[in-house]
Amino acid sequence: MDGQMLVSLGLILATFALYIGISIFNRAKQTSDFYVASRGIPPFWNGMAIGGDWMSAASFIGMAGTVLALGYDGLAYIMGWTGGYLLLTFLLAPQLRKYGRFTVPEFIGDRFDSNPARLIAAIATIIISFTYIVGQLSGSGVVIGRLFSIPAMYGTMIGVVIIAIYATLGGMKGVTWTQVAQYIILIIAYIIPIVFMSLQVTGNPLPWLTYGNVVDEIGAIDRELGLSEYFAPFAESDKSQFIALMFTLMVGTSALPHVIVRFYTVTTMKAARWSGAWALLFIGFLYLSAPAYAAFSRFILMTQVAGQPMDQLPAWTDNWINTGLLEIADQDGDGVLDWTEIAVGNDMVVMATPEIANLGMFVIGLVAAGAMAAALSTAGGLLITISSSFAHDIYYRLVNPQATDQRRLKAGRIAIVLSTVVAGLIALDPPGVITQIVAWAFALAGGTFFPVLFLGVWWKRMNAQGAVAGMLIGLGSTLGYIFLSMNGIMLFGIQDTGAGLIGVPMNLLACIIVSLMTAPPAQRLQDDVIDLRYPEQMTYKDGEVWMNDGTGK
Amino acid sequence: MKKVEKEVADRYFRTRTTLIIIFLGIGFLVSFGVVAFAEFFSQFTFLGVELHYYMGSQGAVVIFILCLFFNAVLSDRIDRKFGIDDEANTSISNGKTINH
Repeated sequence: MDGQMLVSLGLILATFALYIGISIFNRAKQTSDFYVASRGIPPFWNGMAIGGDWMSAASFIGMAGTVLALGYDGLAYIMGWTGGYLLLTFLLAPQLRKYGRFTVPEFIGDRFDSNPARLIAAIATIIISFTYIVGQLSGSGVVIGRLFSIPAMYGTMIGVVIIAIYATLGGMKGVTWTQVAQYIILIIAYIIPIVFMSLQVTGNPLPWLTYGNVVDEIGAIDRELGLSEYFAPFAESDKSQFIALMFTLMVGTSALPHVIVRFYTVTTMKAARWSGAWALLFIGFLYLSAPAYAAFSRFILMTQVAGQPMDQLPAWTDNWINTGLLEIADQDGDGVLDWTEIAVGNDMVVMATPEIANLGMFVIGLVAAGAMAAALSTAGGLLITISSSFAHDIYYRLVNPQATDQRRLKAGRIAIVLSTVVAGLIALDPPGVITQIVAWAFALAGGTFFPVLFLGVWWKRMNAQGAVAGMLIGLGSTLGYIFLSMNGIMLFGIQDTGAGLIGVPMNLLACIIVSLMTAPPAQRLQDDVIDLRYPEQMTYKDGEVWMNDGTGK
Repeated sequence: MKKVEKEVADRYFRTRTTLIIIFLGIGFLVSFGVVAFAEFFSQFTFLGVELHYYMGSQGAVVIFILCLFFNAVLSDRIDRKFGIDDEANTSISNGKTINH
């Protein structure tokens, strides 16, 4: 074990100890602790927890690399993944909070007064969250595996054990505060390297202001090499695909059950609005930095690595060639490495930056701990969501409504352990390309849930038949389009990752048409929807709005 | 309990909804709008980079964040104008929420 490995290992173990300590301190004692952290999280801290919950291994490790590889076309991810918080905070979160349930399937089941709708929603939640968590566990496996030169398999297993311990102990309450800690660690780890890189390249420590000029210079180098410029629009895909992908990511973000449930942990509609605002600010720190990472890394690779004689490349290139993420070959045999002869893997950019910019052992270890924090925080939130779908929506609401609080807590804990083990087993041998599968999870979340939730809180006429038809048709058409486009049958050049643009409108139409063709929902359910227009203090009852001013009932 | 005039209650809902439509409209224009006419916007530059790239990498995200904060502040102001007391909201919400 060399010095670097000791420093990285020490930092990662220290953060693990911190997470477990936090969840022991915040042990869940009742079901409302376990599922919604007793609904008392202040908006500022909830925003930070949403940031940790939301930013996954893919955001931390992969996004800068995606922008580096795709240029302008990679920005669909940046706008899509942040724009979703607009839809969520404006259209869904406050109303869902006022409705006051534990989970997304529970909202759907109670709002439409339909157990079939509840079951479909619970199963869809489990499928979406499982798809997503497999990506997180593989991500944490890659980080540990690369650091300690052990197979990624053991890395995955270590990650699984850690998450299972703290999620089981603390439930949502413990996970909330570990997510806050994880957010702080991951954002520091993300920003420090890029500040130093900005200093090295431009002499200014604020990368967000300086990388514009670097992007311009990269474009100039591209021009000289006869390549399409880095910032040229739609060089890698059609405009229609860009728009479809951005739409899918936005709508999917706003309908992911593990994100929505975080809005249940605050006190009021007002607190939900502020949570959304703080969350996007905290998420923005990372998303605004990713294009800067991409620009600086590409600039350094283009100016300091490309153009070097093959036998004088920097030492770090060897390590990364060994991992398979960096490929270089002197194709024209002139003994000099050209830019076109370098192939950079997406997952390498952030992890390799501290080495490329020569920032020393501590920063390299910090980035590793940050990547682990990103993977674990998202996995923790997902596990709570999966477990609540099983233990709350299926076991308690459908199978055994008489279960005691103790029994349900136990069921929740067992569900977490089981789903961690299953997800871990799948992640040992992940099916297909992780980033692509995660993109599908967004299409599925948007295609299954968004129209149903949106109409459910805004349109009183929406009924159970509409919700069931919408979810099934949305899920079916999204899956169908993914398969068709994988086999080369595409509408308007939209690829599988943009399937949401097909599934979401289909779902919306199905909800509206089927609802209008069948009987309206009970008056009580319609009144509940009108009640969501007003803050908690105002209540809608029998066609009249009442203000609770504390003067008796 | 005090009855709220239908006109007042409707006005509250309309004001809030108008706000939401305006902010979502802004968000739509700076993301989808700029992407749809990316070629047009590429003739301008901002902070050293062509405008369509700037909007995608920073501009849109910053405007999204501002929209959310403006909405939170303005909504609080509207609530106050309609006599909503946040502490009452909190205690009512605690009593009403279904924690089963």
